[in-house]
Amino acid sequence: METFVQSIVSGILTGSLYAMIGVGLTVIFGVMRIINMAHGDMVMFGMYGAFLSITFLKVDPFLSIILWIPIAFLIGVFIYRFLLKNIVPAGELNTLLYTAGLSLFIANLVLLVATGDYRTIKLKYAIMPLRPFGIAVPIPLAISFGMAILITVALYWFLVRTDTGRAIRATSQEPEAAALMGVNVDRMAIITFALGTALACGAGVLLAPSLYLYPTVGEILVAKCFVIVVLGGLGSVPGAIAGGLLLGVVESLGAVYVSVPYKDAIGFVIFLLVLLFRPSGLFGVGKS
Amino acid sequence: MRKSLVFVMAVLFLTLMVIPSFAQDTLKIGAPQPMTGPDAPFGSKFKKAYDLALEEINGKGGVQGKKIEVIIEDHQAKNPLAATVTEKLITQYKVLALTGGRASGQAVEIASVAQRLKTPYVVDHPSADIITSKGFEWVYRNNPTGSIYPQAFNKFISDVSGAMPKSAAVAYDNTVFGKTIANSAMVFLKSKNVPIVNDEAYPVNTLDFKPLMTKVKGQNPDFLLMVAVSTTDAILLTRQAKEMGVAPRAFVGFGGGFGVADIATELGPLSENVFSSAAWSGNPNDPATKAFYKKFYDKYNFYPKEHEVEGYAVIYILADALKRAKLTGKLEEDREAIRQALLTTDMTTVFGKVKFGNYAGPLGDKYTNQNIYSPEHSVLAQWRGGKLLNVYPKSNAEIDVVFPDPSVKR
Amino acid sequence: MKKIIIALAILLLFTAPWIVSSPFFVHLMIMVLMWTVLGASWNILGGFTGQVSFGHSTFLGAGAYTTMILYLKLGIAPWYGIPIGGLVAALIALPIGFICFRLRGPYFALSTLAVAEIIRLVALNWESFTNGPVGLLITTLPDVTLWGRSIDWENKIPFYYIIAVITLGSIAATYIMSRTRLGAYSLAIREDIDSAEAIGINTVQTRVAALSLSAFFAGVAGGFYAMYLRYIDPDAVFSIALSVEMVFIAVVGGLTTVAGPLVGAIVLVTFGETFRQILLVGHLILYGLAMMLAIRYMPEGIWGKLRLWFGARH
Repeated sequence: METFVQSIVSGILTGSLYAMIGVGLTVIFGVMRIINMAHGDMVMFGMYGAFLSITFLKVDPFLSIILWIPIAFLIGVFIYRFLLKNIVPAGELNTLLYTAGLSLFIANLVLLVATGDYRTIKLKYAIMPLRPFGIAVPIPLAISFGMAILITVALYWFLVRTDTGRAIRATSQEPEAAALMGVNVDRMAIITFALGTALACGAGVLLAPSLYLYPTVGEILVAKCFVIVVLGGLGSVPGAIAGGLLLGVVESLGAVYVSVPYKDAIGFVIFLLVLLFRPSGLFGVGKS
Repeated sequence: MRKSLVFVMAVLFLTLMVIPSFAQDTLKIGAPQPMTGPDAPFGSKFKKAYDLALEEINGKGGVQGKKIEVIIEDHQAKNPLAATVTEKLITQYKVLALTGGRASGQAVEIASVAQRLKTPYVVDHPSADIITSKGFEWVYRNNPTGSIYPQAFNKFISDVSGAMPKSAAVAYDNTVFGKTIANSAMVFLKSKNVPIVNDEAYPVNTLDFKPLMTKVKGQNPDFLLMVAVSTTDAILLTRQAKEMGVAPRAFVGFGGGFGVADIATELGPLSENVFSSAAWSGNPNDPATKAFYKKFYDKYNFYPKEHEVEGYAVIYILADALKRAKLTGKLEEDREAIRQALLTTDMTTVFGKVKFGNYAGPLGDKYTNQNIYSPEHSVLAQWRGGKLLNVYPKSNAEIDVVFPDPSVKR
Repeated sequence: MKKIIIALAILLLFTAPWIVSSPFFVHLMIMVLMWTVLGASWNILGGFTGQVSFGHSTFLGAGAYTTMILYLKLGIAPWYGIPIGGLVAALIALPIGFICFRLRGPYFALSTLAVAEIIRLVALNWESFTNGPVGLLITTLPDVTLWGRSIDWENKIPFYYIIAVITLGSIAATYIMSRTRLGAYSLAIREDIDSAEAIGINTVQTRVAALSLSAFFAGVAGGFYAMYLRYIDPDAVFSIALSVEMVFIAVVGGLTTVAGPLVGAIVLVTFGETFRQILLVGHLILYGLAMMLAIRYMPEGIWGKLRLWFGARH
């Protein structure tokens, strides 16, 4: 029984971070139909940001998120305005490949500059996990989970309660109608991309103490996150969250109760099954 | 205008393909290594090791009056690229011999090409048994094979009273490296009637071991054996095993991932008392080893471990063969001469004694040109106070072993 | 005029190995041709029907493992194994197609990736069949005599001709497809799948046919890969990176064109080699940059752009 509960708890904790990366990805796709292969590199950027904060600025990585989210937002604006905007008209496939090239570029630039040495963030208060009711809960992961919830709630409030947020959702559902209603579609695209980038970077900052730093770590993560956003329905924020948590739990239970080597396969099989019955994903919205 | 531009570029390209390459007057050794991609840190380690060895050898005048040069090519940890760069090194750069490879998958490809193109390949680190068990007469290996790695650990649990595990959980990466070592360890344990309560293969470069460790904890194993070729896997395995509360009498690590300095720097106190059944028996009391340690540290500011030592040693082995070979300047004859010289190699390097021979491995594979001293090279070390120190066998020990692990609450 | 150029190109193709100065260049040309076949294979599906697959390495791997296992375990020579490998790949494309073609656009793309990963994990773990991560290694190829002389497998030239023939086959197939109903239906699907359905095209059948044909060539290339590189393991032949590279070749070469994949393969291999020559550690930075520039300024592909320059109408 303890094993079962432990699996679920671990799955939810890990899944929450997948979800946060996924939300950024899905928001970008929903509004702009861009599949951003460089999303993982934004996560990596956040991780290195956290590392820099604690190593050189002596600031706790979780606090440093206040610094890195705005910076990532600006970087997102820059990338969209100067790089991606010209590519989008060329079609979804070309945009995807373009971001793949961008990803290679960024990851290898970081490799050249930071070298490939693996780094981790060691927090003094985080060496041993909490053990509520005998279930091991690693401290950095617990803090990440909490902050991820806060950020997601904030995002939800933004999308539902503010004008800009509603404009973004409108553009995601029907860009032409939104434009007719006076929404500056172009501005929404920039904001959305920057927002997605900032979310990815934030997820990276939160993940850093629980994982390890390496220039290509983003790529491994983002492959999973593509699965999540498609599972949850491209463009749907609740979908990405549900998908992330679901995948986290499925992988965890699958590893413990079915088989460790096949645990990724289990995730993919569930993914395919869901899509067969709900081709637009669990919470699929908009056109496919 | 545009058409002629395209035409010119096409002609330029074709010309490049047709012009032969020129050779310079150095003794060239080729070394495919991963310089980008997930294995990049290791490529960089080997490069540093080769550079140090070259500095020393060339500083003393080189071999037969010529300087030795190591040409490194990036294979990005991809097998087809390993084949491509090996072809390039052999036919374009016209190297006299090859070394390197780093990961077993790429090394098998390199060995296959070297064997077919009749170029000597002295393996420094890759450990898949298959590389020296296919009867390739052009392939030699200095370091132990994967199935030999656990031998020091096997000796320890057999010789020391009370050390035989009452049960064992084994987690290993799903690569040829991980599988070979885990298999070898499990075969031995089964022969001693030790129940294997967990046999978990995990995908290499996994991000999350919590489910695996949850499963292991459920079985409450007496010993936890972890195999990791990747440093990050080694770090996360250990950290998450402890986080999940796995409480064995010993944490035993096998593989490159457990023998690198990062284990101590990244895990801090969590690394204390973790065993590493390693491939290097560098006798710490040997003055040559101590001198090498110091030289390396002075040049690069960190202490060498298994990979650096292997890279350094292999250059010396090749230099020794080059010295004894009659080099006439004719490429095919020179490569054959080097191969003959390697057959009669009998020397000592910082890594240990070297002599290539044919014999049967612990799982029954027939090795060709495998270092006959390999079984002795396996040594059991333990992370203590941030340092990896040999603890068994006693002749190589730098410090007394700590067992059972007192830091684990049972 | 066009026929003369094509004839010259084929002549060049068959005499090239004797002209270049070093076996390494023959090796490079073999790799270029192998990538051309892979790019052409992806193009048959992705270019013509517009269905973007990220799991094409499944078919390459299927062909590779079929050829290897038939040779190593049953002694069937690779020149039989290679076409059989292609057929096996074409066969497994059928169920994959029926499952994945229920989905559209990015959902389809990711489902192909999921299938590819599942198959990779099965190959990695089903050791009794595939030898797992240890992989399969060919040490000697069978003795064959042709015109009185036995083929020297240590030489690259026999391999070159084998892949040259396969490449011509894949390009010919693409050309024939573009002239038949399959090609026309495929292009209709690419333009607007719903309209295609509306005018009576059986889109499922068409797509599955295209996928099968595409898979056949990927499988054949896989069989060749096994025979030439002589070593395969699940991570080498079932990897996502391979699938993405196939897409890249087809797109950068020029989708729906017949010669596009050849151009794409030449560019991919030569740029990769050149960049690796210049910067030992940073070469992928240049590669990524080159990809970005290529897509930015030549979204219809390099060959697509060249055709426009040379006066084609679309």
